[in-house]
Amino acid sequence: MIESIPLHWSFDYNHGAQKPDYARELIELLHLYKDSSDSRNVNTVNGQHRRHVYQILPNYWHGYQRRNNQNESISIGEVVVERRQENGDLWKYNVRYINNTNGENLRYRFSCRDEIYRPLHENWNVEVHNSCTDIYSKLSWDGYLTSIPEIQLRINNTDITAGKIDNSLPLTCNWALFDVFPALVESNKEKVDSVDIAILDDLEQLRPKCRIGYLDTIESPISLVGYFLYGTGSLPSYWWVDANGNTVIVSSVFETLVLKEKMG
Amino acid sequence: MNQHPNILFINTDQHSWDAISAYGNPYLHTPNIDLLHQNGVSFTKSYCTDPVCAAARSSWATGLYTSETGVPFNGGQLHPEIPDIGQVLKKGGYRAFHCGKWHVPGRDVRESFEVLYYGNDNIGAGGAAYYDSASTHAVADFLTNYDEKEPFYLQIGYIDPHDVCEYLHNHEEKRIPNPVEQGILSENELPPLPENFDYDIRETVLNRVCRRVDDALIHSRILKAVREWDELHWRYFRWNYYRFIEKVDAEIGRVLSLLQQTSFNDNTLIIFSADHGEACGSHQLFQKFALYEESVRVPFIVSCLREGISIEKERFDNTHFVSGVDLLPTVCDYANIETPEASQGMSLRPLVERNDTNWREHAYIESNYWGRAIITDQHKYITEYIPKTTEDFIPPGPDEKQLGLVQLFDKQNDPGENVNLAYEPNYQEVIDTCRDKLLKQESQLNRQKNVHNRPQNTITNWGNRLQDYWQNSK
Repeated sequence: MIESIPLHWSFDYNHGAQKPDYARELIELLHLYKDSSDSRNVNTVNGQHRRHVYQILPNYWHGYQRRNNQNESISIGEVVVERRQENGDLWKYNVRYINNTNGENLRYRFSCRDEIYRPLHENWNVEVHNSCTDIYSKLSWDGYLTSIPEIQLRINNTDITAGKIDNSLPLTCNWALFDVFPALVESNKEKVDSVDIAILDDLEQLRPKCRIGYLDTIESPISLVGYFLYGTGSLPSYWWVDANGNTVIVSSVFETLVLKEKMG
Repeated sequence: MNQHPNILFINTDQHSWDAISAYGNPYLHTPNIDLLHQNGVSFTKSYCTDPVCAAARSSWATGLYTSETGVPFNGGQLHPEIPDIGQVLKKGGYRAFHCGKWHVPGRDVRESFEVLYYGNDNIGAGGAAYYDSASTHAVADFLTNYDEKEPFYLQIGYIDPHDVCEYLHNHEEKRIPNPVEQGILSENELPPLPENFDYDIRETVLNRVCRRVDDALIHSRILKAVREWDELHWRYFRWNYYRFIEKVDAEIGRVLSLLQQTSFNDNTLIIFSADHGEACGSHQLFQKFALYEESVRVPFIVSCLREGISIEKERFDNTHFVSGVDLLPTVCDYANIETPEASQGMSLRPLVERNDTNWREHAYIESNYWGRAIITDQHKYITEYIPKTTEDFIPPGPDEKQLGLVQLFDKQNDPGENVNLAYEPNYQEVIDTCRDKLLKQESQLNRQKNVHNRPQNTITNWGNRLQDYWQNSK
């Protein structure tokens, strides 16, 4: 009777086109990660190596069509967040995002300093491959922070400015938030007042002023602490963290990422 | 000016005319659409032809009103013999590209355009969260690689802020607490209720049956949910709508930033508009489908970021009525291509260049197949056709005897459209004049039978419900 388990409103999409599979699949994924045997810290020569794999469940009502067999997963893709600690004070991220709906397969490579808000460090690279059959098939760009300070992107040898940075706010990337919220829990800051930060969404879109803060604590279906995030050009999303430093659920307008596998 | 400039048509979806920070809206920040206004002419009396996606888009594509195109609602089918903007431009020597949302049922976008990106399953009505950034990537790839000798026409169909519909659907089966009681937002961060939140219930039967009654024809489950909303929920809905617009503004920003770094910047005409607006709580309505200003009035900006095309900077044109049917003739005029003879639209180029031209004195809008509006400087006249007893599937009009209820608003003294003057005896002369304008306008349309099953079924089912309402209200 998994369907009858109430979900928190922030990730409850057990209705509409997905009913009742959304809750069942979400809870099955949670059990999968909880039962995962490889939950130990993995130390490399230079520090930790962590890898989290998320299933993308669709939130959206409009236009959702399950492909193929009705008994198959409602999943529409996968996210792999992998990072290694290097030289003690840097985390090198390698994130893959594969979305079967829009056809894009993205790889993000970037570095952050080992601080609570994971400030973005120096330069980064994004590669996109599009599996759709029309003209656009791939794109890549490099980005870097200038001394002005502003964000520069180089797309096919064309340089553009992606925005000026307010130095009073930490600048991070949305993919590093998978470690920011657990760090808040770990530092016992989970219930402090909300905090303003700047986010470079997908390493291309600057959201100059976003707010993160504590949302709620739940015990079912598992024990989790929740946070919210919103800002200019950024719809609210909800981030749920377990007691072991894992971001377990991330729910935004169109999708919910659910942790299914972890290492470190 | 080059006789064949490149033309970029950037469109958003469900974007009301005033949801732009350069126009003085304090509840959102749209620096990139502002940039288009700062480098161009904004037509503030711009109206869609029909406040729903597919219908309005069929007018953009053809220069025809929706009773002519075969797409009077989302389930219509474009009549096959009508040429579209892609075909016209290709014939005129342009390379015609499409990227993102198209939503003109009955016409395969790939037959009329070279398509940069259209999703895995062909983009439908919604899905900005996935498709808009991919569209920007596709355009980035295009702008940094295009080196053909022919000029290009590129239309970019962004979906946001249409994803506000997802926000609404999410309320259908669960209670989402307002963010103030959750401690996420403070009340003073939320926009206020619109001044025209309350409304005059003396609406057309069509609007009541489509949008108000318990089993409303359009999205009745959302209606049921929003009836439970308190003031903060409505205000939070508005807050969300503005965030969706900021999101798409940022996408537009990346396109403009790239364009500015290319050799096309000096010689690219940019047109920005939206297919229809969003009620956003006005008249206690959500989404579109109604003939009130918030749903039918849309941005329309003609711009160039450099000096290669003669366009005044930062000018508001508050005088001329612009319609979605004007897109095709405007593009053709700038491209030096002949506009299809059947087009109902007019080129905005003389208005942009401040040249004398005879211009229309009203806007004409259709809605939900039977709804009609005429907008003049002083009044808005809304009416409806009563469904035919024996349906022939030819869009109604011009037929005075079949007209139903009327809403009349004084636009100068009641811009929020709060008081229906149609029941005031003093206004009969105004109503008669507006009705004559409507009938005259409709006598110039080439209305064609909807021959496909799906639109016929919709017309039959909706018509029956409307007939029932008329019968029961007697």
